[in-house]
Amino acid sequence: MIKFTLKRLSIAIPTILILIIISFLLMYSAPGGPFTSERPLPEQVLKNINAKYGLDQPMYKQMFNYVKSIVTEFDFGPSFRYKDRSVNDIIAQGFPVTLKYGTWSFIIAVLFGVSLGIIAAIKQNTFLDYFAVGFSISAQVLPNFVMAPILVLIFTLYLGWLPGGGWEGGKIQFVIMPVIALSTSYLASIARLTRSSMLEVLNSNFIRTARSKGLPKYKIILSHALKPTLLPVISYLGPAFVGMITGSVVIDMFFSTGGIGLHFVNGALNRDYSTIMGITILVGCLTITFNLLVDILYAWIDPKIRYDS
Amino acid sequence: MGNLYSLGGNMKKIISIFFALFLSLTFATNVFAAKHPITGETLAADQTFTYWALDEHSSIDPQIVEDVSGSDIIRDLFEGLLNQDADGNLVPGVAESWSANDSKDVYTFNLRKNAKWSNGDAVTAHDFVYAWQRAVDPATASPYSWFMDIMSIKNGGEAISGDVPPSDLGVKALDDYTFQVELTASLPYFAAMTTHATTFPTHKATIEKYGSDWTKPGNMVSNGAYALTEHVINERLVRERNPLYWNNENTILEKVVALVIPDENQGLTRYLAGELDKGPVPSGQFKKLKAEYPDEATSFPRLCNYYYTFNLSDSGIDAFQDVRVRKAMAYAIDRNVITEDILQAGQIPAYTFTPGATAGFDVPKVAFGKMTQAERDSKAIELMEAAGYGKDNPLSFTMIYNTSEGHKKIATVMAQMWKQKLGINATMENMEWKTFLDIRSKQDFEIARGAWCGDYNEASTFLDLLTTPSGYNDGKYSNAAVDQLMTEAKTLNDASSNYTTIERILASEMPVIPIYHYAGVFMLNTQLKGWPYGNVEQNWYSRNFYKVAD
Repeated sequence: MIKFTLKRLSIAIPTILILIIISFLLMYSAPGGPFTSERPLPEQVLKNINAKYGLDQPMYKQMFNYVKSIVTEFDFGPSFRYKDRSVNDIIAQGFPVTLKYGTWSFIIAVLFGVSLGIIAAIKQNTFLDYFAVGFSISAQVLPNFVMAPILVLIFTLYLGWLPGGGWEGGKIQFVIMPVIALSTSYLASIARLTRSSMLEVLNSNFIRTARSKGLPKYKIILSHALKPTLLPVISYLGPAFVGMITGSVVIDMFFSTGGIGLHFVNGALNRDYSTIMGITILVGCLTITFNLLVDILYAWIDPKIRYDS
Repeated sequence: MGNLYSLGGNMKKIISIFFALFLSLTFATNVFAAKHPITGETLAADQTFTYWALDEHSSIDPQIVEDVSGSDIIRDLFEGLLNQDADGNLVPGVAESWSANDSKDVYTFNLRKNAKWSNGDAVTAHDFVYAWQRAVDPATASPYSWFMDIMSIKNGGEAISGDVPPSDLGVKALDDYTFQVELTASLPYFAAMTTHATTFPTHKATIEKYGSDWTKPGNMVSNGAYALTEHVINERLVRERNPLYWNNENTILEKVVALVIPDENQGLTRYLAGELDKGPVPSGQFKKLKAEYPDEATSFPRLCNYYYTFNLSDSGIDAFQDVRVRKAMAYAIDRNVITEDILQAGQIPAYTFTPGATAGFDVPKVAFGKMTQAERDSKAIELMEAAGYGKDNPLSFTMIYNTSEGHKKIATVMAQMWKQKLGINATMENMEWKTFLDIRSKQDFEIARGAWCGDYNEASTFLDLLTTPSGYNDGKYSNAAVDQLMTEAKTLNDASSNYTTIERILASEMPVIPIYHYAGVFMLNTQLKGWPYGNVEQNWYSRNFYKVAD
C-alpha cells in the first residue's frame, strides 16, 4: 500500500506540471489580456505595467519564473486584477469560505443521501421508496441557481429568518442557505446511486446466505450490505467533495460569500492570469489527493482489491 | 389574555412596575437621542451606511485605483487637496486655499495645519510631493499615471516614460504647508482635477514598510474621515470613523460598509430585506420599483452615452462608406421604444454623441432629432433606396456587442427595426467582454456597440473619441474639420460653439449611431440623508451623510 501511494504521488508531480503548462497556454490563447480595457492604456503606461508583472518577457520565461516562485517560495504571484492583493491572499481568504460551506454540504449530502438511498432500497416499491425517488429526482432537476433564489425568497423576504447573503466570517445564519442550495443536487445523486447499488447487493448470493442463516435484518444491512453498496458511491464522492470545497460560482455569486468559486470565473473573465493559475493548481492538487484517497478507501472496503502485487 | 387576569395581585404589581420602567426607558432614549446640529432632525442610533457594489474594486491605493467603486472608497479613506460639495463645486480639503499665477501654469496650495494621518503624523506638502512622484514613477506602474500627464504637470510624461527620474516632476513643497505645481500649459480647470483619487496623498513611511501590503487593514495609514477596519475580497470592506480627521466633529456617520453582491437582482432582494441602505435597480425594473417605492427609487442623468459605431476603416464593408446608408440606419431606429419600453429608467433618447447633462454643452437641435419618427422612417427608406438597397437587394452585415441581457434586447430591437423598415439582414453576434474589446480595437467588425462615460464634466471628454488620433476611436472615423475644431477648443475659454458645430457635422456624416444617454438608477433608504443628487459625477463623501431615526 505504501509503495502504491508513493507511486501515485510521484505521478502527481508531472501531472500538475502538465496542468500548469496547458492552463498557461490556454490562458494566453484567449484574446485580450489582463490590461485590455475599454480605455486602452497609453503605450508607455502599459509598458510600465507589463514590466512590473513580467509580461514583457517571453512566455517560456514567464512560465519558468512562475513555477520557480511556487516551488521555492510557495508564492503564486500578485493578482493582475486586484492590484494590492496577491493570489496567496485571495486563496487564503476565499478557500476557507468554500471549505466551510463545501464540507458542510458534503456531510449533509452524504448523510442524507446515503440514508435516503438505503431506505428506498430496503423498502423497494413502497410509499417510502416512491417518496425517496421522487424527492431525489426533484432535487436533481432543481439546480442550485433555481434553488438559491427560492430559498432567499422564502427565508429572507417572506419569513425574514436568514440574511439574504454575505459571510461575516462564516456565522451559522450565513452558512445555512448556501449549504442547502449546494448540497441538494449532490444529495440526490448520492441517494440514487446508493439505492441502485444497494438493490444490486441485496439480490446477491452472500446476502441470501446471510439471510438464510437467520441474521437480523439490520445486521445484514449494516455489516454485510453497506460496505459493498458504498463502493460506487465512494468513487463518486472523491470528485464531488473537491467540487464542493472549491466552491460553486452560483453559490458565491448568489450569496456573495466571497469564496474562490467566483474568483475562478472572474479570474478567467478578467484575464487575471495569476489568479486562474493559482486556483487551477489548487483544484488540481485537491483532485489528485482525493482520487488517491478514494483508491485507498477502496482497498480498505473491498478486500478483493489489492494494489501491491 | 385570560392568563394575565388570573395572576395573583403581586404578579400584577410586578408587571405594572416593569411596564412603567419600560415606558420610562423608551422615553429616556428619546430624550437623549442625538439631533442633527443644523437641521435638528433626530438621528438614528445606528449610524452605519451599507451600500451595494457590483464588483470588487481593483485597488484602494490612491495612486493605483482605476475604477469608480475603488475611488468611492478612497474618497472616504483619504482626502486630497480639494473636495466637491453636493453640487459638484470645489470646496477645501487638505488645502485651505489655493491660487494660480496669471498665466495659470503655476498653482500654489496652502495646506491646513490641523490635517493628520490616522497614526497622528501631520499631513504636509511633502506627502503630496511623495504621492505625485509615486504616481508617475514607472516602478509604481500605475494604470492611471496618464492622469498626471493630462494634468500637464511639468515632466509628467517624461517621468512616466522613464526619461527623467520621478523627482524631476514639477511639484515641490515650498515649506511644510505650501505645495506648488508647475504646469507645461495654461490649465484654467487644474484645481478641479485635484479631486481625483490619483492626486491624493499617501504615507511614505507606511508604504516603504509594508510594500504592496500597505493597503491591508491594520497596515494602512490614511488621512480621510474614515479608516479601513476590515476587507474581505469579493465580500465586504468596512471603514470606520477616524477620530484624528481634522473635521471629525462635523462627521455624523460612524461606519460605512461596502458589500460586494455580483448579481443585481440579489442586490435588490437584499436591499428590500433591509440589509442595504443603497441598492441596485436591475435593468427594466425601474418603473415597477418607482411605483412601489416612490421615495426610494431614484433616477438621474449620467454622463454616459450608448451608441453603435460603423467600422469606417479599410477592413469595414463598402456599404458603410456610403453616408446615405449610415444615415438611413440611424434614422430607422425608434429610440423611444428603447428608452420607454426596454430600459424604462429615465434614459434619454440620443441624437447627439455628447449627453445633454454635460456642463457647458448646448444640445444642438440636429435635423434628425427634430423630426417625428414617421418622418425619420420615410427619410430612411428614401436614403436607402437612393443608395441602391431595398427589399430586393437587401443589405447584410453582422453587428457585435458584448454579452449581456440588456445589450441583447437593444440589438434585437434594432435589428428588427432595420429589417422591417429597410429590409436589412443584420446578424447579431455577442462575445465575451475582453474578446469584444480586442476585436473592436483591431477593427475586425462591421458595426459594434460602444459606450462611453465622461472622465470629467466637459464635452471634450466625449468628442475627443471621434478625432483621428484618439486611441479610443475604434470606428476609425476621421474628419479634418472635427480634428481642427477640437484642437482649437483646448485653447478657448468657452468652446461650446465648437462642440455644437462638431455635433452638427456628426449628424450629417453619422459615423456612429447615438442610441441613448444613460441614467443612473439606485434605491436609497429614506433614512439616509445628504446624498449629492446635484453632483453629476456622483462623487460622494460618506462624512456628509447622516441617518435620521424612523
